[in-house]
Amino acid sequence: MEYPIAGVIVSPLILAGTGFVVGVLGGFLGVGGGFLAGPLMFWAGVPIDFVVGTDLAHMTGKSLVAARSHRALGHVDIRLAMLMVLGTVPGVEIGAQIIEALKPRGNTEQVVGIFYVIILSLIGTFTAWESLRAIRMRRTEHIDAQDAVERTGLLYRSRLFRIPPLVQLPVSGVGEVSVWAILFVGLLTGVLAGFLGVGGGFLRMPLMVYALGIPTHVAVGTDLFEIVISAGYGTVSHALKGNVDVLIALTMQTGAAIGAQIGVAATRYVSGPSIRLVFSFLPFIAAAMVLLRIAF
Amino acid sequence: MMPIKQKTTENTDPSFKPLMRSLALELCIYAPLVTIYFIIVLHFAKEPLIQLYEQGSTSYAFLTLFLILMQGVLLEAFTSWLLRRIGLR
Repeated sequence: MEYPIAGVIVSPLILAGTGFVVGVLGGFLGVGGGFLAGPLMFWAGVPIDFVVGTDLAHMTGKSLVAARSHRALGHVDIRLAMLMVLGTVPGVEIGAQIIEALKPRGNTEQVVGIFYVIILSLIGTFTAWESLRAIRMRRTEHIDAQDAVERTGLLYRSRLFRIPPLVQLPVSGVGEVSVWAILFVGLLTGVLAGFLGVGGGFLRMPLMVYALGIPTHVAVGTDLFEIVISAGYGTVSHALKGNVDVLIALTMQTGAAIGAQIGVAATRYVSGPSIRLVFSFLPFIAAAMVLLRIAF
Repeated sequence: MMPIKQKTTENTDPSFKPLMRSLALELCIYAPLVTIYFIIVLHFAKEPLIQLYEQGSTSYAFLTLFLILMQGVLLEAFTSWLLRRIGLR
């Protein structure tokens, strides 16, 4: 089927199937799934500038569905999400402007593709290492998974650096954390969202867990809630620049809606470190797909 | 040595098989209905959306956001209704 806005012919079944897979992942892992949907669209032949904008559009709707389900389960920290948005929105705009700056040079696909591979490989490696360490520590020392992460992760060390102002996050069970740390996480993931067309959840969720000390299930829900706002902004920003094919986004969302429900249901049966371990090898798959498209 | 902490939630449901059965059934009903819906939407909305895009208007950007959010909410409501309707939620 032809999608004339992006100027590409793709089967709607592939797009809806992609939406379904990333919907399951989104609900299950608390990430928008853009890190997988983007490479899949790119691999299917969608131009990279449309991949970036359309991916953000599709994620906005999908994340709204998943975030509502997580909020009903009490897994959304609104205060944390709103603070993070203050960093994410400027970051998204910076990322979108980088794409615009690359367009005249004609090497957007190569630059974005290489960044995809680097970022995805780093995230996969770090998450696998940290998850295995947390699971091993839980087994040997008989402590709670969150405590394991706190003792070994960045949080334990970063608490030495309490740059004011500090904020309390009672919903997440975090006593005090620097507002700057939250804004930094938001800004960093926002740039990636605007530049790579991903929600940034694949980076934001580990950062929330490891750097801010948020429990995994709250990080999942809060991340999805944050994606609704930041990806919504990214959608409008990229659409104004002509980088969004709404027909592709709507097609993908039909599959994502049902996938998200299945993903949310699955979180009841798997513990935090196990979720992160499952999550860890997915970035490598996405990286391989991007490499294939760049190489051939 | 620290004591073992047991984290429980009121939402925990041990009935994994019925849940998976209900989701599979929902998927079977959902797929053809959504396919029909999508064909109708494409039929009526395709041309106006392409025209808006080609005009490069701000309304295309905000309509995109509106459509994607509306479809998200509607599809969630539909899938939830479907589960209740077939008596599996």
